[in-house]
Amino acid sequence: MDFSNLLNNYAEAISMVLFGIGFSNLLLQKNLIKKIIGLNIMDTAMYLFLALKGYIAGHKAPIVVNGVQSTEAYINPIPSGLVLTGIVVSVSVSALMLSLTIRLYYRYHTLDLDEITMQLEKEGL
Amino acid sequence: MSGLMILSILLPAAAGIFLLLSLVFHRQQSQAFAGAVLAVSAVLVLATAWLGGGEKSVTLFYLMEDIPIYFRVDEVGKLFATIVTVVWVAAGFYSFLYMKHEGMEQRYFGFYLLVYGILIALDFSGNMVTLYLFYELMTLCTVPLVLHNGSREAIMAALKYLFYSMCGAYMGLFGIFFLYRYCDTLTFAAGGTLNPELVNGNQGLVLAVVFVMLLGFGVKAGMLPFHAWLPTAHPVAPSPASAVLSGIIVKGGVLALIRTVYYLVGPDFLRGTWVQTAWMTIALMTVFLGSLLAYKEPVFKKRLAYSTVSQISYILFGLAVMSPEGVTGALLHTVFHAFIKSALFLTAGVFLFQCGKTRVEELKGIGKQMPVTLWCYTIVSLGLIGIPPFSGFISKWHLAQGALEANVGVFRWLGPAVLLISALLTAGYLLPVTMKGFLPGKDSTAAAEKLEPSRMMLIPLIILAALTVLLGLFPGPLVTYAGKIAASIM
Amino acid sequence: MEFVRNFPFISIILSLFSGPLSSILDRKKAKWWNMIVIGLIGAMSLAVLMYVLGTGEAYVYTMGHFTAPWGNEIRVGVLEAFMAFFFCVVMFLCMLGGIREREAEIEESKQNLYYVMINLLLSSLIALIYTNDLFTAYVFVEINTISACGLIMIKQNGRTIVAATRYMIMSLLGSGMLLLGICFLYGITGQLLMSNIQEQVHRIASEGSYHIPLLVSMGLMSIGLAIKSALYPFHGWLPDAYGYSTVSSAAILSSLVSKGYIFLLVKIFYRVIGFDIVMDSKVINVLFVFGIAGMIMGSIDAIRENNIRRMIAFSSIAQIGYIYMGFGLGTTEGVVASIYHIVSHAATKSLLFVSAAGITDVSGDSTDFFDLTGAGYRNKLAGVAFTAGSLSMIGFPIFSGFISKLLFAQAAVGHTFKMLPTLIALAISTILNTIYFMKTVIRIYTPMRKSRDREKKNTVVRMTDQPLKSAALICFILMNVILGLRSETIVLMIQNGLKMFG
Repeated sequence: MDFSNLLNNYAEAISMVLFGIGFSNLLLQKNLIKKIIGLNIMDTAMYLFLALKGYIAGHKAPIVVNGVQSTEAYINPIPSGLVLTGIVVSVSVSALMLSLTIRLYYRYHTLDLDEITMQLEKEGL
Repeated sequence: MSGLMILSILLPAAAGIFLLLSLVFHRQQSQAFAGAVLAVSAVLVLATAWLGGGEKSVTLFYLMEDIPIYFRVDEVGKLFATIVTVVWVAAGFYSFLYMKHEGMEQRYFGFYLLVYGILIALDFSGNMVTLYLFYELMTLCTVPLVLHNGSREAIMAALKYLFYSMCGAYMGLFGIFFLYRYCDTLTFAAGGTLNPELVNGNQGLVLAVVFVMLLGFGVKAGMLPFHAWLPTAHPVAPSPASAVLSGIIVKGGVLALIRTVYYLVGPDFLRGTWVQTAWMTIALMTVFLGSLLAYKEPVFKKRLAYSTVSQISYILFGLAVMSPEGVTGALLHTVFHAFIKSALFLTAGVFLFQCGKTRVEELKGIGKQMPVTLWCYTIVSLGLIGIPPFSGFISKWHLAQGALEANVGVFRWLGPAVLLISALLTAGYLLPVTMKGFLPGKDSTAAAEKLEPSRMMLIPLIILAALTVLLGLFPGPLVTYAGKIAASIM
Repeated sequence: MEFVRNFPFISIILSLFSGPLSSILDRKKAKWWNMIVIGLIGAMSLAVLMYVLGTGEAYVYTMGHFTAPWGNEIRVGVLEAFMAFFFCVVMFLCMLGGIREREAEIEESKQNLYYVMINLLLSSLIALIYTNDLFTAYVFVEINTISACGLIMIKQNGRTIVAATRYMIMSLLGSGMLLLGICFLYGITGQLLMSNIQEQVHRIASEGSYHIPLLVSMGLMSIGLAIKSALYPFHGWLPDAYGYSTVSSAAILSSLVSKGYIFLLVKIFYRVIGFDIVMDSKVINVLFVFGIAGMIMGSIDAIRENNIRRMIAFSSIAQIGYIYMGFGLGTTEGVVASIYHIVSHAATKSLLFVSAAGITDVSGDSTDFFDLTGAGYRNKLAGVAFTAGSLSMIGFPIFSGFISKLLFAQAAVGHTFKMLPTLIALAISTILNTIYFMKTVIRIYTPMRKSRDREKKNTVVRMTDQPLKSAALICFILMNVILGLRSETIVLMIQNGLKMFG
């Protein structure tokens, strides 16, 4: 096996590992807050990955300073734009999840989804 | 001609829907309307079937790209449409008086006309998808006829009927999907359209599929193992409705089977395979079991329903032996059974209408009260048993001949034997009514007052009984005709 | 440039901005405004459809001043316009049919919020249909998820909140995978517009490089969208979400939201990756197997279910299975059948949900199977409508479901290996469908026993008591019949639309 590609693209590899961590947390954790943390790790991993796609070593952020307009000076701005959009999405989704969690906690005094389901069965709703 | 054909389908259907939707009719008006429409459409159907020569076909519209709704008048279609018309008119005129005590006549006649249109469309269907469409519609629109009196029993029976029929139809549909691949076309052609190149190597699969289709369409024809709905559903309907259900609607299943086996798959493909053997076995078992159950059944209409189970399988057996004689016999029996069984149910209706008697033992001495009715009953019973010179004899003779001359191994003698035993049983369950009716014995308390029904109900009965005699005495043209069909599809 | 060309963009913006407007209007006005917006958008989509049918080719509408490959684009073809129009019609009828339940079940202060959610949902659905930009599609997928979540939890009780939470979690997993797939694709191709990606993908495929990343990306996007549209093994969230939310939510969720994702998947297959490349990959086979499993397992679950709403929800899983099975066949006929089934299922499932509400309504608001005895007599129209919907689901001729089954069968017989499993699955699933739908129809038409009649709080509803709902139900039934009888035009339109996709 040749791991040199993996080493060269270590940042991408790390972002994938992070994605995996986030994904499995979101899927497997019982605690809702931990799930949300997992969600955020997953999203962040993706932004890291996206940002890496646009990054060109030695170039600067695409903000025009000192009138330099050459494309040689800046990194690719589109992925950065995507990351910004993605952050907005992820913030709103996290907010929604948190609000749901709060409601559930007020009602059932627990953050464990399975336990909540059990209580629901008892309520017979 | 195609306009005539469409009209003969559309007129009764549209009139039926009109009757169902309109609220303003009086009893007499709705009856007059239904009667007029029935008469006109009967004439139209007969004209479509028998007048003018040449190819009569029409493509209504395309359901999908290469699947049209397509009608064509062919020999089998003509035969079935004629049977339907005769029975429908007879039972229709019988209903005018009979339905008085059932009520909700407008709804009844609405559906009655609607189903007539659908049946004509079914008979003239030119391809399998059209047939399937009207097959399902037939099921759906006959449900209201079954649950007519609205009692819990009737509704449950109707739903049972619906469930069985639909499951059966889906088994058929499943087969149609397959045949769509293995046949050149789903348009009916005598002798089948199976493409030997495609089938090559997949014989086992196609056989299995055909068997599933046989079982599926066999549900409607009351074939074992899915016959249980029939003795539940047919008796609860009003008697004229039972008559057409037992006489005609079950023939829908027979028609679907004829179309599948002889017009799509082709008998050559099935002859000598396990499917044929299995089909013959099931048919014979149904013949025997149906008769046996009828023999043991004390409720008159239920007894007749079990008798239908048994008799339809005579037809199926004839189809299953796949010899020209057998098919001739099957077609003849289709005709005769339609007339006879309708007449039997109409008689049951008379008993019910005039004195409210439903069980066989209550019918003691009934012959003193209504001799004409009981004579009609006796004549058609003898026809069903197969005693010459009545019609049933002709068809059973051909059926037995067909089995004997076909190369079907043990069934060559087993078939006729079972048919004979079943005929004895038939005599056993039908004739006691006549005997006890005319000769109630000494301890009978039945008054000898005349209870004969009015002419409206007697005339259809007499006509059907007369047909039984006439077709038995002069079967020549009909036998030739059926023989021609059988020869053309072999 | 004709003015009609602006309509897709105007539809999205109109719906998006009528959201805030709904929140400040008072309740009654918001309700009607919402209806008007849906109607308007439907009319505009119809105009676009006519226009595209007239010109016979798809057109691209550039958003803002940046042109491709940097700017954002809308692309409109026959299929897109038809879907937008159809979605509007179904949504309109769902909203109409669920008015009474909505007003009874949702707190008064929250009702405006409902209309906001509906507006957001509609705009995101239409954007999903029209957009030509993969990342925009992702953003609208998220908006769609959020508003759908709002629709579920608007009726506030423990059940719906838990259902919404579960829905969110599964959806987020799905959209995470979708986003990762998009990122991969972006990494390989460096493009975001669908047509540009396709060019690059074809180049890459012909060179034979990046084989695995492409496959992974395809797999991630397919599975991500499959999770979001509740394909069989990922369906756990669905029954609760559809079963306990208010009627119009359930109807809209099952008939539109999941279909929006599936439509996006079709776009990804055709427009982003290219059909031949997708067909060559193994992803298709995975979808095929899951689809068939869904068809059967969904129906089995439905048979075991005693709650009518949840039963209909389980039936959705089976139907989604049909759609994926059609994709899995890997032929254009299969995709046509699937898209037709999207249409037919949307028409039927919303009919079922709305009529089921009518049925439970007259049975003391109980959804329990045995309490529904005789409900067909108490609310005649709902009974008839439910029967019609059931027949369509089962695949009774003259209803739309029959045509989709025929199309699936037709597509299947063209395939050598997948024919047998497909046809057998179709047959088994049809029989299973018949069992549970007919069981319910039989139940609602079983007359009550007199002795038990007194104990229950059953009411009788006439057709004229709820004119709006009756109108919606009648329209739904008509729609099913029309789809069943005049399917040729629609199938032709789908075929044309798919050609324009390429």
